[in-house]
Amino acid sequence: MIESIKSSPLYAIANPKSIAIFGASNNATSMGTGLLGSLLALGFQGEIYPVHPKENQVLNLKAYRSIFDLPKVPDLALIVLPTRLVPETMEACGRKGIKHAIVISGGFKEVGTDGVDLEKDLVAVANKYGIRFLGPNCIGVANPRYKLNTTFMVFEGAPGFIGMASQSGSFVTQMFSYLSRHAIGFSTAFSVGNEANIDIVDCMEYLGACPDTRVIALYIEGIRRGRAFVEMARSIVPKKPIVAFYIGGSETGSRAGLSHTGAMAGPDKLYEGIFRQGGIIRARSMMELFDLCRMLGSFPGITGRRVMIQTHSGGPGAEAADACGRAGLELPPLSPETIKKLSPFVPHTGSISNPLDFTFGRNIADYYWGIPKVLLEDKSTDLLLFYFSMSGGTLERTIRQLGVPQDQIPEKIVEMINLQSDSIIRLLETHDKPFVGYTFLSLKDQLVRSLVERGIPIFPGPERAARAIEAAYRHTCLRDKILASASHKEAASR
Amino acid sequence: MRADDLIQSGLARGQKALSEYESKKLLGLYGVPVTREKLSQSADEAVSAAGSLGFPVVLKACSPELMHKSERGCIELNLRSEEDVRAAYERIIRSVDLELEGVLVQEMVAGQRELVVGLNRDPQFGPCVMLGIGGMMAEVFQDTVFRMAPFDTIEARDMTEELRFKTILGAFRGQKPVDMEVLCRVLTAVGQFGLELETVSELDINPMIITPEGRPVAVDALVVLKRNSK
Repeated sequence: MIESIKSSPLYAIANPKSIAIFGASNNATSMGTGLLGSLLALGFQGEIYPVHPKENQVLNLKAYRSIFDLPKVPDLALIVLPTRLVPETMEACGRKGIKHAIVISGGFKEVGTDGVDLEKDLVAVANKYGIRFLGPNCIGVANPRYKLNTTFMVFEGAPGFIGMASQSGSFVTQMFSYLSRHAIGFSTAFSVGNEANIDIVDCMEYLGACPDTRVIALYIEGIRRGRAFVEMARSIVPKKPIVAFYIGGSETGSRAGLSHTGAMAGPDKLYEGIFRQGGIIRARSMMELFDLCRMLGSFPGITGRRVMIQTHSGGPGAEAADACGRAGLELPPLSPETIKKLSPFVPHTGSISNPLDFTFGRNIADYYWGIPKVLLEDKSTDLLLFYFSMSGGTLERTIRQLGVPQDQIPEKIVEMINLQSDSIIRLLETHDKPFVGYTFLSLKDQLVRSLVERGIPIFPGPERAARAIEAAYRHTCLRDKILASASHKEAASR
Repeated sequence: MRADDLIQSGLARGQKALSEYESKKLLGLYGVPVTREKLSQSADEAVSAAGSLGFPVVLKACSPELMHKSERGCIELNLRSEEDVRAAYERIIRSVDLELEGVLVQEMVAGQRELVVGLNRDPQFGPCVMLGIGGMMAEVFQDTVFRMAPFDTIEARDMTEELRFKTILGAFRGQKPVDMEVLCRVLTAVGQFGLELETVSELDINPMIITPEGRPVAVDALVVLKRNSK
């Protein structure tokens, strides 16, 4: 485990001051040109040196005929050339003194026979010059805070707190839009490709030390350095949650064994145990991976699984209670004191229990402040699960019916939304307990959007919320297990 | 006898695996609780072994060639008298068409709860320990969990928590909860076993019976050796 990302071989790859790019041209449809376009589109602040054997200019940048013509040694080489040219280009980079590279080009180990040899050549060249590189057969890195995007896809949205390392490039680039729509984002995302030199364990180490990363997301098809993987995860999890989505790779060799154990050791079961040993939370899909990252990045240390549910109608409350039950969460009964404190707020049509059903009250502020405050104060509650139902349209109609002049309505809506949103943020600031929302509204709905942008996790429907809460609790348990193990070891060595 | 000697003599004889008797001796060296047992070469020896172990006993054909005994009519359970033992001994000798290391006489361990503990080697993760629900329904339940060795008893405890049907490890139908400390030590010991004995490719403890008092006992065991290793 490193203290600073500056000690990682990935530092220069994710934070280069200057980049030489091989494979960009003025041919708009070539992949290299696309990559350079993405780099420029995000407004990369460092120097970019296109290297091209014929062009004087590439996308309005001065081009260089050879790497040896560059005025300085760039921090990073970005290689998007035909496979056969890659090893010799790496050789030239080495002679120039470049120490870091990303090899986007494919056609190596992943295609078999000839590719395997070519990849060996590439690794040998890199080793000769001490070059550390990502790939080959990857899409590179996105570090949006640093305005770096070496991928073919244009970066969308804002930087966030999810640090990703993926064995599929698509699950980096094609998530830009998804994350942006859901008001979350990558701190840094790596596509690891064939992992010929830098692998997913190196990426975990970098992300573990990365100050902008609050939660690490992994997409895994197979781990090569298994033992290092588990040890790395265990060193990170006490500080930062890790979530992984794994799709079973090829069957392990042990399948052919003579024992019962060998026959039972399919890769899926093995990875299940390995993740748990590493303290890693396993997601069931890409969408769930990001649900769990949203939750764990927002609330990395929930203390328990006792959930208080607040709704203002029966159905959504019942569904939430059911979802929590199936996810293994508990719904504590309200304390007599809580019931007493709530009775002024809840009309006789409502139900003072867990889930709390508010029905329809006179004062909307009670729903966003008075009631949740009492629920959060209940000692048997670890967190509040809160239902958002009132759409912007309903709010607008209510304001109109109150007699607010038409031209003042938009302003009044913003005022109301801010009031609600502020009081929820204030709840969070004054109580040391997580607040999680669920809704059937669109994430574009003003109140929901405003809260999500302020870091409140709100999920589409209670099932996804319940699973995210359960994952956060599981992280706490796994983290505590690893910490207990470490202190046990320390005590034994004393 | 040292663990290495047991394995080396098996390898020297060209065995693919150790017999149940040898396998359990090896496990015993790692502190795994195993059945009390004696190897006998005649019906008389079996009878005297049964006498010293105490009835009821179990008789099993013992050979490194016998990796899965239950289907081959070479186990005789719940033998309560000298006559039972003699008759069972003869039946085993007649039914097994192999040169035997002997007939194993062992204490009959009562208990309705069965676990399976094992070791396999994964190319990426190295020696990995398995814990599962055993017994006749093991393949139906498919309830198994894995950990990479080495790990400590805290991690072993977490393995037991990961089993879907972990409730059988608690107080169950008048039987005491499993001695968790012993079970966890067995799991860590199997991990250590895998790390230290590189010539062992796989291990099964199947079943590991939990007695009504909650004591886990290895009732059968199979150590598979790596071929071409010396």
